[in-house]
Amino acid sequence: MIQLRSVTKKYKNAYALKNVNLDILSGEFVFVVGASGAGKSTLMKLLYKEETPTSGTVMIGGINIANLPPEKVPNLRRCMGIVFQDYKLLQNQSVYDNVAYVIRTLGISTKEINARVQGALKVVGLSDKMRAKPTELSGGEQQRVSIARAIVNGPPLLIADEPTGNLDPKNSMEVMQILDQINQRGITVIVSTHDSAIVNHFRKRVITLENGEVIRDIQAGTYE
Amino acid sequence: MSNNRQEIKKKVKKHIPKDWLTELRIVYRIAMETLNDLKRTGLVNIVIITTMAAILTIFGALFRTALSVSAFAHELGNVLEISVYLKPSADANVAKDRIKTFEHVERVRVIPKEKSWNDLRREIDMPEIDNPLPDTLHVKVDKPENINSVFSKVRTMSVVADMSYAQELAKKIQFLNHVVNTTTIFVVIIVAILTMTIINNTIQLVIQSRKDEIEIMRLMGVSNWYIKIPLVMQGALYGFLGSAVALIPLNLVENMLINVHKFFLIPNPLFAGNLVVLTMFFMGTLFGAGGSLLSIKKHLQV
Repeated sequence: MIQLRSVTKKYKNAYALKNVNLDILSGEFVFVVGASGAGKSTLMKLLYKEETPTSGTVMIGGINIANLPPEKVPNLRRCMGIVFQDYKLLQNQSVYDNVAYVIRTLGISTKEINARVQGALKVVGLSDKMRAKPTELSGGEQQRVSIARAIVNGPPLLIADEPTGNLDPKNSMEVMQILDQINQRGITVIVSTHDSAIVNHFRKRVITLENGEVIRDIQAGTYE
Repeated sequence: MSNNRQEIKKKVKKHIPKDWLTELRIVYRIAMETLNDLKRTGLVNIVIITTMAAILTIFGALFRTALSVSAFAHELGNVLEISVYLKPSADANVAKDRIKTFEHVERVRVIPKEKSWNDLRREIDMPEIDNPLPDTLHVKVDKPENINSVFSKVRTMSVVADMSYAQELAKKIQFLNHVVNTTTIFVVIIVAILTMTIINNTIQLVIQSRKDEIEIMRLMGVSNWYIKIPLVMQGALYGFLGSAVALIPLNLVENMLINVHKFFLIPNPLFAGNLVVLTMFFMGTLFGAGGSLLSIKKHLQV
C-alpha cells in the first residue's frame, strides 16, 4: 500500500530524513518510534502531503504523492484518516459536527451522515457525548473524537502522529486499543510515538528512526 | 499496484456519490457556511454593509445625475441649428437637397425670405421698403460635436452668402457631456478601489479569526474551493446588501431628479432608475467578490 524509496527531506542545512526506504502493506499496524527530532513527524507529514520530500518517491496506492499537484491534496487526505497529538478539533462545534464536518462537504445526505457519524462515535465509545463541545471533554475523549472523525469516511489508511502525546497512561492505552480495533477491521494504521509502554504492550511492527534514518524495522517488535 | 489504485478509487467512489442531488447538497451547504460566517462576523457586518451602502449611494446618485445631465445636454443639442443665408440668385430647394446629403445632417428646413420678412415686420416696426432678406435654411445636425464639420462643408457651397450658429452654446454642451462622462468613469474607479479595499480588509480579519479552523479543514481534506467559496460569497453578499440599503437614499435622488425633469419639461431618460439600480447591484456584488478574492489570494494559504 505504501512504498518509500530513497526518501530524503532536508530543511536548510539539517536532514530530517535520510534515504528512507519502507514498504507498508495493506492492513498492517505499524509503530514509528524514535526520540524527539528523529524524523517521525516529518515521515508522517510526507504521508499526508503536508511536506514534500527533497528527493525520492512516496507511493500510496500506486500514486507517487511527492508529485501530487496541490489541488489534488484534499482528495488524497480524504482517502486517509489523520489523528494529531493536539486533536485539532473545532472548539465551537459539537462532537457530532466535528465528526460530520468533512463528509458534509462531500454532499452526502443527512441520513447517511447521521448513520456514519453514529457508527464512528460508537467505535470510539462516545455515542452519548454527541452534543457535547470539545471543551467539555477530557483529553482522552477529545482524542477519541478525533479518531472518530478520521474513520468516518471509511478510509483504507489511518495515520496517527503522536496520538497519546498529551494523554495519561490510562487514556493512552484506551486510545491505542481503539486504534488496534480499527486495524482489525482491515484499515492500515501507522502510529508515531515515543511511548515505550504502548509499543511494548501491543507487539506490532516497529520502525525505529534515528537522526532521520531507519535503523530498525522489526515485526512484533518492542521499543528499544 | 494498479489493483490497489482501483481499490482506492472504488472506495472513494463509494463514499463520494456524484449526482445532481449531491451537487445540490454541496451548494446548499456552502450557502449555509456563508450564512454561518456572516453570523459569526456579528455586529461588524452592520458597519461594513453601511459603509458599502454609503459608497454605493454616492456612486448611484452620481451615475443617475450623469444620466439626467446627458438628457439635458441632448435636449439642448436638439435646439441647436445652423442658419444658412442664401444668395439672392440661389434656389433654396436645390441647396436644401444638396445639404441633406451631407453626413451628420438630420434635417433641413427652408425659411422663405417672405416669411422671414413678415416675421420681422411683426416683431419690429419696419418702414415700407423692398424685402432685403435672403432665403434661409435651418440645418439640424445629429450631435452638437458635429456642428463644426457640417458648418465647414456648407460654407464651401457657392450659393451660401452667410452662416451662423450658437457656437459657444454648442461648445459648452460638449464640455458638459465630457465632464459628466469623465466624472462617472472616475467615480467608478474610486468605488471599485474603496469597496475592494473594505472587503479585502474584512475578509482578511475573517481569515485571521478562523485561521485554526481553516488549518483543520485543510488537514482533514476539505476541498480548497469549499473553504474559499463561502469567503467569496461573503464578500459578494456585503456588496449586494450594501446595494440593497443604498436603494433607500437613491430613491430620494431619483424622485428629486424626476421633479427637476418635470420642471424643465425635459423628458426623464428611459429606464434610467432601473439602469442605475442594476449597475449598482452588479458593481457592488462584483467588487465585493473581487475584494474577497484578493484577500484569499494574499492571506489564505491552502
